[in-house]
Amino acid sequence: MTVHDLLPILTALIPLPTFIAFALIILFFNKWKRVSHSIAIGAMLLAFLMAQVVFWSVIAPDGHELAEHPLHVQIPWLPSGAEALEMGVLIDPLGAFVLFFVSITCLCIFVYSVGYMSEGGKHYDPRYSRFFAYISLFATGMLGLTVADNLLMLFIFWEIMGLCSYLLIGFWWEKNYPDPKQVNPRQAGLKAFMTTRVGDVIMLLGIAYLYSATGTLSFRELLSAETLGILKEMPSYIPGLSAAALAGLLLFGGTVGKSAQFPLHVWLPDAMEGPTPVSAMIHAATMVSAGVYMAVRMFPLLQVGFDIHHGAQLTTPMIVMALIGTFSAFMAATIAVAQDDIKRVLAYSTISQLAYMVAALGIGAYVAAAFHLIAHAFFKALLFLGSGSIIVGSHHEQDMMKMGGLFKRMPVTAITFIVGGLSLSGFPLFFAGFWSKDEILAVAYHAGFNEGIVLAVVVYVFLALGALLTAFYTGRQICLTFLGQPRSDHAAHAHEVSWTVYVPLIALALFAVFFGYIGIPEVFPLLGGEHSNLFHHFVGATLGTETLHQLPHPEQLDLLPFVLSFLISPLGLLAGYLVYGRKPLQAGQPDPLVKALGPLYPVLKNKYYVDELYDAVFIQPAIKLAKWVYKWVDRWFIDGILHNVARGAFGLGHLNRRFDLAVINGGVDRMTDGIKWLAQNGRQVLQTGQVQHYLLQVLFFLCGFGVLYVWGDAILAFIQRLLGI
Amino acid sequence: MGTFDTSQLLAILPQILLVVLALIVLAADLGTPRGKKRSLGIVTAVGLLIVLIVTLAWPETTEPVFGGALRVDGVGKAFQAIFLLSGLLVALISMDFRPLRQDGAYYAMLLFSVLGMSLMAAAEDLVMLYVAIEIAGISAYVLVGYMREDALSAEAGVKYLLFGAFSSTVMVYGLSLLYGIAGGTGYGRVAAVLLQTPFQLAMVAFLLVLVGFGFKVAMVPMHFWGPDTYQGAPTPITAFISVASKAAGFAVLARALHFLFPALNNDWPALLVAISMVTITLGNLLAVPQRNIKRMLAYSSIAQAGYVLIGITAGGVAGITAVIFYLLVYAVTNIGAFSIVSMVASHIDSDDIQDYAALSRRSPALALAMMVALLSLAGVPPSGGFVGKLFLFAAGIKAGLVPLVVVAVLNVIVALYYYLNVVKVMYTVRSEHEEDAIAVPAPSRLVLVLSVTGVLLLGILAAPCYNVMSNWVTGWFS
Repeated sequence: MTVHDLLPILTALIPLPTFIAFALIILFFNKWKRVSHSIAIGAMLLAFLMAQVVFWSVIAPDGHELAEHPLHVQIPWLPSGAEALEMGVLIDPLGAFVLFFVSITCLCIFVYSVGYMSEGGKHYDPRYSRFFAYISLFATGMLGLTVADNLLMLFIFWEIMGLCSYLLIGFWWEKNYPDPKQVNPRQAGLKAFMTTRVGDVIMLLGIAYLYSATGTLSFRELLSAETLGILKEMPSYIPGLSAAALAGLLLFGGTVGKSAQFPLHVWLPDAMEGPTPVSAMIHAATMVSAGVYMAVRMFPLLQVGFDIHHGAQLTTPMIVMALIGTFSAFMAATIAVAQDDIKRVLAYSTISQLAYMVAALGIGAYVAAAFHLIAHAFFKALLFLGSGSIIVGSHHEQDMMKMGGLFKRMPVTAITFIVGGLSLSGFPLFFAGFWSKDEILAVAYHAGFNEGIVLAVVVYVFLALGALLTAFYTGRQICLTFLGQPRSDHAAHAHEVSWTVYVPLIALALFAVFFGYIGIPEVFPLLGGEHSNLFHHFVGATLGTETLHQLPHPEQLDLLPFVLSFLISPLGLLAGYLVYGRKPLQAGQPDPLVKALGPLYPVLKNKYYVDELYDAVFIQPAIKLAKWVYKWVDRWFIDGILHNVARGAFGLGHLNRRFDLAVINGGVDRMTDGIKWLAQNGRQVLQTGQVQHYLLQVLFFLCGFGVLYVWGDAILAFIQRLLGI
Repeated sequence: MGTFDTSQLLAILPQILLVVLALIVLAADLGTPRGKKRSLGIVTAVGLLIVLIVTLAWPETTEPVFGGALRVDGVGKAFQAIFLLSGLLVALISMDFRPLRQDGAYYAMLLFSVLGMSLMAAAEDLVMLYVAIEIAGISAYVLVGYMREDALSAEAGVKYLLFGAFSSTVMVYGLSLLYGIAGGTGYGRVAAVLLQTPFQLAMVAFLLVLVGFGFKVAMVPMHFWGPDTYQGAPTPITAFISVASKAAGFAVLARALHFLFPALNNDWPALLVAISMVTITLGNLLAVPQRNIKRMLAYSSIAQAGYVLIGITAGGVAGITAVIFYLLVYAVTNIGAFSIVSMVASHIDSDDIQDYAALSRRSPALALAMMVALLSLAGVPPSGGFVGKLFLFAAGIKAGLVPLVVVAVLNVIVALYYYLNVVKVMYTVRSEHEEDAIAVPAPSRLVLVLSVTGVLLLGILAAPCYNVMSNWVTGWFS
């Protein structure tokens, strides 16, 4: 047995340590806080090491080898009829990279949590151990989802994460706010759970539909050219839509919920009520990425029928994705501009960046989406952890309007946060975010202007505008937080928290810079070369050319997007600096945007009133309907039936009783007396406690059976003759 | 009849080892001072572990040995493993059951009972069958009445003995009838002759024999002894009888239906379906009002026997494999539950369900293990009990026993009520003894760990276990 044979088994074991940690902490070690975090981090470290071993063993300049022979092992898990339900793990180039970033970000966040949840070792949260148990279970969910080789398993881990997300958002459930309109953690957890549930149910429908159509849920079989061909030709329930398109749309419903895309995006900003490591882990780096990851995984299904060489007709799921992605990206970016809570800005930025990936998938830029997925995970985790460091360091102040001047007080946090911010805004050349965002924009431009896909033009224009806004609100955030003078006492007394907090920041900052260098396009002047775009060669090979009609990568540099990419980010940042940095705000001074944007500002501030809309359209009517159903269907109709049945039964009983008294009593008196006598001698009629009764009963039954079997026919015949049949 | 040669002894090596082990325990008893006899439990457990390993490692044969008296095939081997495992776990929990006086005779009796059951699982001859049943039975009667000073235990022993003797007598009628018809005692010969025998005669013999088997299995209407005996017997022995003795009954029943009564293949299913329905329903309904946890588990075990009857009635590879799988899960689960009952009883001297109040605060680990066991008995995923029931019901559906399975599924819901009731008491009811933790000695802790991991592993890794068992079973049908 060679090392390569052991790798699949090692892969299968990756989700295990954190799960064991979860069980150990929740069952046995919840009273010892330090033991709990040691177990959790130890387990995560083990999972991290295993994941890295797997990643570095399979990584190669060219992914075709791994794509054709992925690490794959499966076992029949539950024999069900002729077929057994199979469970297994699969690592192909895409899975390998996702495993890479998930294990790194999770480990960083675990370490960071020690500092955050204990405020640098000074003040342990009362439910400290439980927190580590939950995030361990969460890591199990994410790692398991990454290595799953079929949709059902993916869905199981998906739901585990959903549960953890609910538990962790509501982690400080006892917290209440004086303002009744402000969402408290309890409500936020529920909101996240219910909203994503909508997407999950749609996705489950898609899974069930795929299974009934193909009889398999394994990625390898499902995404084979043969199965896809069948699905493409098979009509669905909806005229004009192939089975592949319907299944793709339903699955995409899961992405919309999990990755917080319009119209199911409303849960993510409120999810910021959870502890900040949770925001980083679940709502930036991993769980929300899972939605996009699933879409990337299932991309061959989503794009079945898309052929770039013959008229470039986008498929229905792709059109939907492009539209939703573009809209979400632009909308969330505009909202982020008007938010004051440091975490909410990042939350909307997350929605916006995830939407870039969705939009990229919509126009067929599969590799670009995957690249941005991973780059985003690094810099967004960094930003969240940085914001957490700021929050703890400045005594739980989250309002940027009350910060300022933190650069001097928290230098490590400030520098790493600025690195993350520059990466998010796509600052040219040095930051990962530039390379990944540039790739999406370049492909969109190419598809729109060179290949003539009209939708891609729209995508390009709005994503580019979104990028400008991203740079602007990033600049605003950095200036408001770090520059100028402190605008409150809390900010004035801010300080770095502890090494467990800033070491993960530094680690993530390195990735936020250097990760981009493995995805430099070949056509890029000076830096580009034959082997510069490693990511593209590796991950791009995941899907064979026979199943995937990807947009061909631009072979020549388009000058306009190239120049624009260089300009957008610095321009946006500069605008942010001009408004907020050049003349820093004083305490109590209103945001200059209020005046500048006029009537638009309240709209953005209130997130386009989507929450209010949902409340009026869905929630209030649902409550009214529930009340109506309770009153009329339950109380009046069902209870009414029951009561009437009961009344009827009583009436019947009375009738019976009369009949009984008059007719039967006499004849049966003696027998009932006998049974009563038996009952008096024991608690039950049959279980008297007397062995002789037991034996008699057995004999009685035995004789009964004997008579029935031996003379059964004769008795039947006798009865029939008696009745004259 | 084949000739005897010494190599045939190898086929029953595990049984020989059991006898040797029992003798060792008896001999060691003489040399062990009064206060230290608890250690004999360890000797028994380790010995049983060795025998278990030998049994599993021993290649199964399809050839009969001892002139056709025994056949140690795959099914026999699977059942033997279940008995040995139960014996092992019961020996461990016996060590910590305080009301019981520890001595060598107790453990030797336990071993003899396991011996009798192992022979039952492989017997293919009427005389061998009867002798094996009596070996297992008589040792069990002694064990049930082992706490002589305790009136309940003594009463339980006598009741068990009377009921056992009675059902044996009836069964012997049946066996002698079969001998009279066939002029021989080997299963193969009797089965061949029964094919030419008038139906009524064969059916009477079958019914008489069924009484003996039904007693072991505790199926309605041969279930009456169950609750009284379970309540009075020393708790570890209750666990043993509810698991091993029952499994032994199913072993002989399955073999007899397959090899002895193929002539009645069209006639017995209807009877067993009816018995199964009534057994499941009666067991579950009567378990609901019980206040004593041992009586509750007694009625629950009657119901569980009813579920297993589905697999027996369904037959075929799927049915028999499901039976074996379920009995294994049931052994691990039920002994786990009874070990907790035993520990609690040792500590607070009560078997009342209401005295389990706040067990989750007194001893969280015990409460958790009990909850796992109860959920498995109820058939909640991901426990082994869920998968086991799934296999049984699937086999039933495949064999066309849809009404029976519907009744069984409805009953599972009823059962959930009384199992969860105990969980509710353990977790939500408060008690004034919350500070008083219940001691968990090392042997019992081992049993608990084995039980909980066994229940979960059998649930999660069901397929590999199922495949191994199904390979053992196919020998019967090829």
